[in-house]
Amino acid sequence: MEAERAVLSREVLATLEASVGGDRSFVAELIEAYLAEGETHVAEIEAAAAANSATKLVRPAHTLKSSSATLGAMVVSGLSAALEQGARNGSVPAAEDIAAVRRAWIAAAAALRAWMGEVGS
Amino acid sequence: MTSVGVALVVDDSVVNRLVLIRHLRGLEVEAMEAGNGVEALDILRSVGGAIDLVLLDVMMPELDGYETLAAMKADEALRHIPVIIVSGVEELDSVVRCIELGATDYLTKPITPRVLEARINASLAAKRLHDLEMEYLERQRTLTATIERQKTELSRFLSPQIAALISSEDGGKLLAGHRREISVAFCDLRGFTAFAQQADPEELLGVLGEYHRMMGAAIIEHGGTLEHFAGDGVMIFFNDPLQQEDHVERAVRMAVTMRDRFAELASGWQKRGYELGFGVGIAVGYATLGRIGFEGRYDYGAIGNVVILASRLSSQAGSNQILVNQRVYAQVEQLVQVEEVGELTLKGIPRPVVALNVTSVAPASPRVTEAASA
Repeated sequence: MEAERAVLSREVLATLEASVGGDRSFVAELIEAYLAEGETHVAEIEAAAAANSATKLVRPAHTLKSSSATLGAMVVSGLSAALEQGARNGSVPAAEDIAAVRRAWIAAAAALRAWMGEVGS
Repeated sequence: MTSVGVALVVDDSVVNRLVLIRHLRGLEVEAMEAGNGVEALDILRSVGGAIDLVLLDVMMPELDGYETLAAMKADEALRHIPVIIVSGVEELDSVVRCIELGATDYLTKPITPRVLEARINASLAAKRLHDLEMEYLERQRTLTATIERQKTELSRFLSPQIAALISSEDGGKLLAGHRREISVAFCDLRGFTAFAQQADPEELLGVLGEYHRMMGAAIIEHGGTLEHFAGDGVMIFFNDPLQQEDHVERAVRMAVTMRDRFAELASGWQKRGYELGFGVGIAVGYATLGRIGFEGRYDYGAIGNVVILASRLSSQAGSNQILVNQRVYAQVEQLVQVEEVGELTLKGIPRPVVALNVTSVAPASPRVTEAASA
């Protein structure tokens, strides 16, 4: 059964917040870091695909998968995981898959900024 | 801030590093961070001694987790630092590979604080144990060096055999006292008292120095144990602490060697006007050997009639005489030429002693090889 992945899982964010003793400003700091490095990773994925290099794609996809999971950006995480898996098997993803990651990234970044606005950090 | 240790967090993701560092602070573990393996190795090589634990991501640019781990294990100074691999649950294959490369443990993301705490405590405990072991080894090295130095110093003051005995495993038992058959040789100078009265102190010390050097070399050549020097008097015994089947022969050969070498020294002294002669007494018998003296000043010594007998024979020996009793002669009869001295009445010895003067001894090895080839 395939559950609908959330652009932003509030549950994951809440668990993260609880695990650091409810320190919301720390969560905000993490989100800022994620927004900065996530942008880099998405760009690296796009560059690797443009260069037709599966090898170069593995690491940014892997890291984006992991940090997205930490912050609850489940769609980005899922798509990155698929890219990583494919790249490990030597396949360079289709342009539409790359575009899907970019779109998901933009949506997740917007949702995270919205969350920060909501909680007033 | 008090900390239970210092961890180096190696991950290319700032998010992952922040999360780990945050958890580490909660456990009072101080954190340092590196964005890839190259940075990590730089930090480890500059402040490696301060780092108790490395939390290592596998997939990183520049130098990945495997390469970093391999480089650490190849480096003598970093090899012992525990490494915990931080990975996703789906990466168990890479975890296995890391453990094979020498990683201590692993953690899966997302990090669960309690699991992190357990892993970190286990690794820090292992590291502390290792540090203690190193400290202990270092102390042991210092101690061994001190003992070696003491042994060297000791062998300058004591007969080498006794210095070795003190440091040996059954040293304590032997020092405590034991009975054994030994050969004892007493040597002293004839005319020494008169010489000591007329000579300048420098001259006296010069002559004694030459004499002691000659005696010392002969004692060592024959494997004797020097019990003491007392001015011109020297007591040497054989068969203890080192056991020697041929101890009687050794004592006799040593005495003859000493007498021959003394003759060369004496001819030099004679030109300067000093008339000195050399006398030896040798006896064989049982003695009690071990530590003799009192707390603060002990000697390794021999007590028994054999010692008294050798000493008395030495007092009776004329210039260039080596006096032995019949028991000694019986054991070296085939090797030596003797002249009879007759019965001597010795102080402290109830019955008269038949003494013989050894005039020469057959060369050592040829006789043995001839006998063996015959």
